[in-house]
Amino acid sequence: MYPKEVEKILLKVQKPGKYTGGELNAVIKDKKDVDLRFAFCFPDTYEVGMSHLGMKILYSQFNSVPYIWCERCFAPWIDMEEQMIKHNIPLYALESGDPLSEFDFIGFTLQYELSYTNVLNMMKLGGVPLLSKDRNELKNIVVAGGACASNPEPIADFIDIFFIGEGEEVDLEVMELFRECRKNGETKEEFLIKAAQIKGVYVPALYETEYNEDGTIKAFIPTKGAPDKIEKRVIMDMDNSFFPESFVVPNVEIVHDRAVSEIFRGCIRGCRFCQAGFMNRPVREKSIDTINEQCYKLCKNTGYDEVSLTSLSSSDYSQIVPLLTKLNEWTDEEKVSLSLPSLRVDGFTDDIMSRIKTVRKSGLTFAPEAGTQRLRDAINKNVREDELLETCATAFNGGWTNIKLYFMTGLPTETDEDLEGIANLGQAVVNTFYRCENRAKGRGVNVTCSASPFIPKPFTPFQWEAQDGIEEIKRKQMVVKSAIKTKKITFNYHDAATTYIEGVFARGDRKLCKVMLKACEKGFHFDGWSDCFSAEKWLELFAECGIDPDFYTTRKRSFDEILPWDFIDYGVNKSFLKSECLKAYESTTTPNCREKCSGCGAAKYGGGVCYEKCKNMV
Amino acid sequence: MKNVRIWFKKDKECRFISHLDLNRVMLRTVYRAKLPIWYTEGFNPHPFITFPLPLSLGFRGEAECMDVRFLDENFDLSTVADIMNPFLPEGIRVYGATESKMKPGDIAFAKFSARLYSDTLSARELKTELCELMLLDECLVPKKTKSGIKDIDVSQYIKLIEIIPDTDDLEITVTLPAGSANNVNIQLLFTAFENYLKSDVYYEITRHGVFDKEMCPFE
Ligand code: SF4
Repeated sequence: MYPKEVEKILLKVQKPGKYTGGELNAVIKDKKDVDLRFAFCFPDTYEVGMSHLGMKILYSQFNSVPYIWCERCFAPWIDMEEQMIKHNIPLYALESGDPLSEFDFIGFTLQYELSYTNVLNMMKLGGVPLLSKDRNELKNIVVAGGACASNPEPIADFIDIFFIGEGEEVDLEVMELFRECRKNGETKEEFLIKAAQIKGVYVPALYETEYNEDGTIKAFIPTKGAPDKIEKRVIMDMDNSFFPESFVVPNVEIVHDRAVSEIFRGCIRGCRFCQAGFMNRPVREKSIDTINEQCYKLCKNTGYDEVSLTSLSSSDYSQIVPLLTKLNEWTDEEKVSLSLPSLRVDGFTDDIMSRIKTVRKSGLTFAPEAGTQRLRDAINKNVREDELLETCATAFNGGWTNIKLYFMTGLPTETDEDLEGIANLGQAVVNTFYRCENRAKGRGVNVTCSASPFIPKPFTPFQWEAQDGIEEIKRKQMVVKSAIKTKKITFNYHDAATTYIEGVFARGDRKLCKVMLKACEKGFHFDGWSDCFSAEKWLELFAECGIDPDFYTTRKRSFDEILPWDFIDYGVNKSFLKSECLKAYESTTTPNCREKCSGCGAAKYGGGVCYEKCKNMV
Repeated sequence: MKNVRIWFKKDKECRFISHLDLNRVMLRTVYRAKLPIWYTEGFNPHPFITFPLPLSLGFRGEAECMDVRFLDENFDLSTVADIMNPFLPEGIRVYGATESKMKPGDIAFAKFSARLYSDTLSARELKTELCELMLLDECLVPKKTKSGIKDIDVSQYIKLIEIIPDTDDLEITVTLPAGSANNVNIQLLFTAFENYLKSDVYYEITRHGVFDKEMCPFE
C-alpha cells in the first residue's frame, strides 16, 4: 500500500509500480496485532533489491513470527525522490505505507560500499535521525548486515547494531530482547548493552578507537562489558535452516525475476582476492532432497518457470549431476528451466550442460581473473589455460559464438606482462574458435574481455595490499587495450574513479563517518550508478574533511598494523591469511578444501566440508 | 481449440503497472494456474495471450479482457476466475471467462469516468473552468505521433464530456473513439484542460468498458 498523497505523483515518475506494493505474497498484517515492526531496507532500487535472495529469506522468516511485521523499503529513484521531497512525502515501507520513522527497527542490507550514501539518504528521507547518538529512545533502532558488515567502521556512527555473519538466527534473538526490554521499560542504552552480549552482534557505540599520529589505529577498546572479539554467526545445518516457501512476486520487471535456491554456502577454492570465499567458510551444502523440495514449492507458489541454483561456484556442489537429474524429474514436465550461474571453467561439462536449458547461446561467462598462469597461481585461481581453451572448444562446437571472460587488473605481484596476458588469452580463445570443426558456420566469434580494477578486501590474504590509484588503473587499462590486436575481442573496463572511491570505504575506519555525514548533507545518493556518481565531488569532499583517500587505498599495510576490522572473527585465522599472502608473493598455490585441508581455522565450527572426509569414511 | 476471453478488473496498486508488466503477470498466472491453454512453440514456449485493447498505466479498469485459446473445448469456463485469482495480486481480479464473440478489430468506443482535483482550485472552480473549455471551438494539444509531435484539435471530444452533478470533486464521464483505427487518449483532454488552466490537474481515470461501433458491449 502507498500513502494517499503518493497517488498524485505516481503518474509523474517512471515505473510507478515500484512504489505501490500490492504484490502477490506480500505480507500484510494488522498493526494492532504485532509488537514489533521492522522495515527491511535495501539501499538500491526496487529492481535490484527485489532480486536479492538474502532479503527474501529474512522477510519470510521475520514474518513467520506472529508478533513481528516485516515490511520492505527500497531507495526511490531520483525522479521519485524529487517528487517526494517536493510534496513532503516521507520515505515509506511498501506494505503499510507508513514512514520509516514509525518503525521499531530499520534494517539495511549492505552489499557494496557505494550504497552507503543511499543508506543515509533513505534514513533522511524517512525522517530518521542519522546519528545513532541522536536517536535516544527505544525505537528506530537501525541495524545492518550483509557482506559489507565485515568492515562496519566507515558507517559505525549511524548504525546501532551490526549483525556479523549469517543473520537468520541472531536477528530474531535481538528482536526478542528488544521486546523484553521495551516491556520492562528499559532505555535504548540498556538494550544495546544487553544486545552486545549476543554472539554475532556488534554495537559500535560501545567501542572507542585511539589513533597513532600517522592515522593508523593504536587501540580499539570495548566498554560496558562488550566483548573484544565479535564472532560471526554461522548456520551449520543447511537442511534445517529457514528457507521461504514463497517469494513476493513483483508486478514490475526486476533484475532477476525467478525462483532461487541456494545450494551451498561458502566456497572450497580459496581464491586469494575473494572476500566471500573467506568470510563464508566452511562450505556447507544443502542436501539434494532439500533443494529439490524448496525449488518445487517455490515454483508452485510463485508461478516462476525458471529456477536459479545459486552459490559462489555452482559446479562445486559435490553431487551436481545427481541434483540436476533429480530436478529434471519434474522440471521437464512443468516446463521449468534451470540455470546455474557462477560456473567454473571446469564445470562446463556435457553432463551438466545437457541438464540446463537456459544457458542461451548468447552468453557463456568464465572468470580466469588473470592473464598469465603465473599470476593466476599467485591469486590461487586454479584455472589452467588449456582447460579454459578446451572448455571454449566444447562451447564453440556446441554452437556458441559469444564468450565473456572476466579479469582483474591491479592484483598483487602483477606486471605489465600479466596485463598483456589478458589480450593474449583472449586471442587464444579467438584462435580456438577457428580451429573448431563444428563451429557455427557463417558466424564470427566474439570474445568479451572485461577487466575490473582490484579492490583489496578485509578478511582476505590481500587485506594488507595496496590498491592502484586512479591514474595507475587507467594506465593499466590502456596496456591491456593496446595489446589487443583483433576486432573479435571487445574490451570492457570499469570506471577507475568509482573503484578507487569504493576502495576507500572497503578498508576504511571510523574517521570516514564524518565524510559520510557530509555526503548525506550534500545530497549524495546512488553512487553505485554512473547517473549520480561524481569522482570530483568525492575528492572535494575528502579534502574538505581533511581526509587523504590514499591512506586507505594506495597504502600498503604492514602485517602488524591493527586493521579497523581486526575485532571481528570470521573463523579464518589472521595467521592463515598472512601465510596465504606470503605464498602469493611466491606464486605458490594452495589446494582446495576437498583436495586437502589447509587448516584455515574454520573447522572450529564443527561441520561442513572440513568434516566431509570423516563422514565419508564412516 | 476454443477462443476464450478472460474478464478482469485492474485496480488498487495494480493500476500502476504498465501493460508490459501486466502481460508478464498474466503469463505467470496462467502458467501457474495450469489452465489448459495453448502455448507458443519453439525454443522457449510460453502461454499465448493477447489483449484486445491495452489499458494505459494509472487507469482503473472495470471490464478488461485478455484472449487465450483453450485446448480443452469442454473446459468449464465458470471455474476460470476461481482458478486464477489465488495466483494474482490483489489489484487484479478475474470475474469471468466467455467464448469470444467479437474480434478485437470490432472495438470502436471506450467509456471512461474520471475524478479531477487540483492543489489550487476548488471543485466548483474546476467545474466552471471545464464548462468554459467545452465552449471553445478549437483546442490544440501536442500529441506524440510516429512522425514527431503534432498539435491536434481535441475540442470535439471535450464537448462529449458529461459532468456528473452533485459530487464533491469534479467527476466526469465520457465515451471516446477507441481501437486500432482511431483511438483518442482521454489524457489528451486533460492535458488540454491543464494547458487552458495553466496549472497542474490531478486525475484518476476509470475505463468502464469497450464497445463496438453500434455501442454494443464488446463480447
Ligand atoms: S578448515 Fe580446512 S577444510 Fe575447513 S574451510 Fe578451512 S581449509 Fe577448508
